[in-house]
Amino acid sequence: MTIEEQLKQILVVELNLEDVTPEEIDDDEPIFGGRFDLDSIDALEIVYQVEQNFGVPMKEMNEARAAFQSIKTLAAFIEDRQER
Amino acid sequence: MLYSSQETIKIDFTHRQSAHCESGVCSNLLYHYDLNISEAMAFGMGSGMFFGYLPFIRINRLPLTTYRCEVGGIFKRVAKRLGCRVHWQTFRSPQKAMDALDQQLALGIPVACRTGGYWLPYFPPAFRFHFNMHNLVVVGKEGDDYIISDPVFPDPERCSRSDLLKARFAKGALAPKGTMYYMKAVPQEVDLAPAVRQGIREVCRRMLNTPGPVIGIRGIRYLAGQVRKWPKKLGEQQALLYVGQLIRMQEELGTGGAGFRFMYAAFLQEAAALLETPRLVSLSRTMTEVGDRWRKFAVLGGRLCKGRASADDTYDAMAALLLECADGEAAVYRELLELTR
Repeated sequence: MTIEEQLKQILVVELNLEDVTPEEIDDDEPIFGGRFDLDSIDALEIVYQVEQNFGVPMKEMNEARAAFQSIKTLAAFIEDRQER
Repeated sequence: MLYSSQETIKIDFTHRQSAHCESGVCSNLLYHYDLNISEAMAFGMGSGMFFGYLPFIRINRLPLTTYRCEVGGIFKRVAKRLGCRVHWQTFRSPQKAMDALDQQLALGIPVACRTGGYWLPYFPPAFRFHFNMHNLVVVGKEGDDYIISDPVFPDPERCSRSDLLKARFAKGALAPKGTMYYMKAVPQEVDLAPAVRQGIREVCRRMLNTPGPVIGIRGIRYLAGQVRKWPKKLGEQQALLYVGQLIRMQEELGTGGAGFRFMYAAFLQEAAALLETPRLVSLSRTMTEVGDRWRKFAVLGGRLCKGRASADDTYDAMAALLLECADGEAAVYRELLELTR
């Protein structure tokens, strides 16, 4: 499973997204401000899940904000951190 | 360098994004006067770390919890410890407050203002709530618009005179009353080590020794006891509102409670080199672990609020995490006191 697929799985399962399956989420779709109606509490869960599932801590909320634009940017952030 | 005409004032001010507004403003203003101090260093030197659960102060009708010191405290202490002279002013008259701002801008002086967040138009709608402890720096003016270096945003922003006026005179708890402050004199050479020691010792004393049950380590433990009781005492619905308020105050204001712990950890790392005390590096790691627990606590609370809690995500589990945070922080502060004697 790719990082993008895992992230979509996390969004749907851990955030209890309704009426959407992981396959229906586009890589470029905005995570926040789009159809998912997520807020800062959900952002916190994503930060936590990223650390738990990929071993990538997100201590700086500035970098988290930039990474949270889409599945694609978040996956790129994770890959970048894993390679360091 | 200052570019000024009748309609336009642009101060050559380096905008740097930060995690927390007041320590960011502090770091950026000092940088403008050639003192390069990181945001984390400003936070630590200014004794920004704090905890207080203040049920008698209500924000949105729910108890106030604060994870950092009083607003303005970081800047005041950093300025004092570095020997800077600062002009502080509050106003009754909005007109006079805006005129005073314009006068300083015309002199090429960047002016920090305390504002409410709700009236700042560049805040995304989701973040525009009534919170009167925001700090920013006004660095210019173009016609009716002010140019704002708001440290929590990636780039300088613009704000109309009427919006800035409303933000400076936002009503409600801790109203800013037009507060503005700017540097009058900044020393060219400073010895950071004594300021860092003072900053550390003040936090340790405050967190370990403040009398009363609601402040510092005792406050964290008291909150743990309260959280445990909330479902029975308040009923499920109200308890969830309390948890929601608690974690929103933890994670949305400033850098959030966990974020402040991470920032303090970064400060301790810098302080280790400055004070030539390697032991501070391992205390920095411990503080990062404490920050992780604070974040776990907020995640758990978030799950309760969002109705996705598992059997393990309970009020008792939240309280247990708080007690771990209290123990972890207390151990760090006790050792810091020893190391900075």
